[in-house]
Amino acid sequence: MTANNEDQIKSASGIPIKDLYIPNDIKDIDYDKEIGLPGQPPFTRGVYQTMYRGQLWTIRRLSGFNTPEDTNNLYREEYELGQTGFSIAPDISTASGMDPDDPRVVSDVGHAGAPIYSLEDMETVFDGLPIERVSTFLADRVGGLLTPAYFIMAQKRGIPMDQVRGTTANDLCTWSSMELANQPTPHTFLRMSVDLIEWCAENAPRWYPISMNSYNPRDNGITAVQELGMLMATVIQYIEEAKRRGRVPLDKFVRRFAFNMAVHNDFFEEICKLRAARRMLLKIIRDRYGIDDPKCGQLRVHVQSSGSTHTHQEPLNNLVRIAYQVMAGVLGGAQSIHANGYDEAVCLPTDQSMLLSIRTEQIVALETNVTNTIDPLGGSYFVESLTNEIEERAWDFVKKIEEVGGMAQAINTGWIHREYKAAIIDYERKLRSGEINVVGVNKFRMEKEPHSIPIFKPDPKSADILVERIKRQREQRDNAKVTKALQNLEEVVRSEENTFPAIMEAVKAQATPGELAAIPLKVYGPWTYPIGV
Amino acid sequence: MDSKNVKILMAKPGLEGHWRGLIAVSSAFRDAGFEVIYGGSMRPAEIATTAAQEDVDIVGLSILCSNYMPLTSQTIEQLKAHGKGDVMVLLGGIIYPDDFTELQKMGVSGIFIPGTPLEDIVKFVNDRIPELKKVA
Repeated sequence: MTANNEDQIKSASGIPIKDLYIPNDIKDIDYDKEIGLPGQPPFTRGVYQTMYRGQLWTIRRLSGFNTPEDTNNLYREEYELGQTGFSIAPDISTASGMDPDDPRVVSDVGHAGAPIYSLEDMETVFDGLPIERVSTFLADRVGGLLTPAYFIMAQKRGIPMDQVRGTTANDLCTWSSMELANQPTPHTFLRMSVDLIEWCAENAPRWYPISMNSYNPRDNGITAVQELGMLMATVIQYIEEAKRRGRVPLDKFVRRFAFNMAVHNDFFEEICKLRAARRMLLKIIRDRYGIDDPKCGQLRVHVQSSGSTHTHQEPLNNLVRIAYQVMAGVLGGAQSIHANGYDEAVCLPTDQSMLLSIRTEQIVALETNVTNTIDPLGGSYFVESLTNEIEERAWDFVKKIEEVGGMAQAINTGWIHREYKAAIIDYERKLRSGEINVVGVNKFRMEKEPHSIPIFKPDPKSADILVERIKRQREQRDNAKVTKALQNLEEVVRSEENTFPAIMEAVKAQATPGELAAIPLKVYGPWTYPIGV
Repeated sequence: MDSKNVKILMAKPGLEGHWRGLIAVSSAFRDAGFEVIYGGSMRPAEIATTAAQEDVDIVGLSILCSNYMPLTSQTIEQLKAHGKGDVMVLLGGIIYPDDFTELQKMGVSGIFIPGTPLEDIVKFVNDRIPELKKVA
């Protein structure tokens, strides 16, 4: 059957979509080899045998604000509401590796996340919370303070290192998608990032020291196909680096990978993207690197509703967008989901919108019955066909990245950033021409906002509290011990040794985020962010 | 003075690293024939120094974090201190309507929230070319 209007209708990634899919569209698919059963390679239908019948996804929101104390209150509320994992968004100074009294960062302190500048701050954030029963995601910077502080806190609470559960962001792809201060070069980043993975592979077997993350890159305007290609090229880059170093057996290394992806508006394309991602990872692990243990090729993924799809106009409409995106994540088989606040294109989320995010996931989980059977869309002529198409196109993108020298090199030279820029300009053109519909923005736009929503404003006093605190920390700590720990860290950074133990020691000695970040920059120099017009 | 003679510095005075809006607007200005200096992430004092060195007519700021009041005010103060108090200041990003009046009092000429069509931003500048100080 051929469709008359095949040329006109395309997915958001530009894949032509037919008017109807029939058995002929999937006749070349070998079910056992390319689809298979859930929990079995190539994991197209899900990484676990029982999927949501065995365990629901983790409801986890990236959050934190004002001060460690306010963040602790927020986390306690989230825990009471039934959230089953925590996720630390660091404030801008923590993320930039700057102390709060650094003149460059004064206006950013306590904004967009939790300020955590010491072990004491980490302990305040988790005061009264049972970290032995939950897992925590840390959006830490490479060589940052969050992961060591979390580990030291767990040790102090008597939790053995092999029982500490959670994930560190630590990923080259997302980190380079934002222009942050104190960014080391991509190759420095890769080295220190792999240091943490190697350390955890030996010492923290339940911790995921990297979350291969294509969420933020996606929000830079690229398509689902590009997102998937970048993600897999990043995986390959990390494995190549581990192979080159040869310190940890590859199977042990790749077992520590977690994943973080976006869920965007094109419902079926997003579902198929997640299915294709699982199959692609397995192929990389098994076919390219010859690692036979199927557990190594399981793509466990956290997804987040795409912030870039949320509109400032009529913000309540975003609740609907978010619910569909969560549903795409569920039908795509995600292990953990963050539903954004509907108000995030207007302000930082309010208590009301954060509650709604958790409720959105709970309603999908408990009321819609979509969890009753595993991979309900598996075998659909359209879904299987689109999954194949996305996979094929994503491999082409992986190939392009490899041709320019792999992910780290593609970032270093600005190749990736040129892709972002082209995608952003293309999106704006399509928005203008009406090829993309955004209700309330370029379709049915209203002259005046019809309804107002509550607005969150951060506490302007936070910065003063935090600046006071870090000054006190510098006065009260044993400065000779700090100097020694930092000198040791610098020597280790200059050598080829694993940097993580020296970072742990420096955090124990109460080195500050700025002091930690300064060392790799001093040794390897800063990186000039490769974007411009 | 036509668009070819208008020089615009585009920058993010804060440290949150989201540059998508800045690139989109910078590209639209460039396509409209303006001379665009893409500063990217720059602190208020750096913005002012560059604005003075390059003798720009317009400074476009992008801020997606709720700290735009102090950042905008610091940038304008710095511009004045560097003898560039006469440039037109534009601000784009997540800005609360409640703050528009105060920002205008501070000296911000145009405020653009997410979802503003790029051609509206370009038109805003084109309509005000006669007001730019170099012409006076």
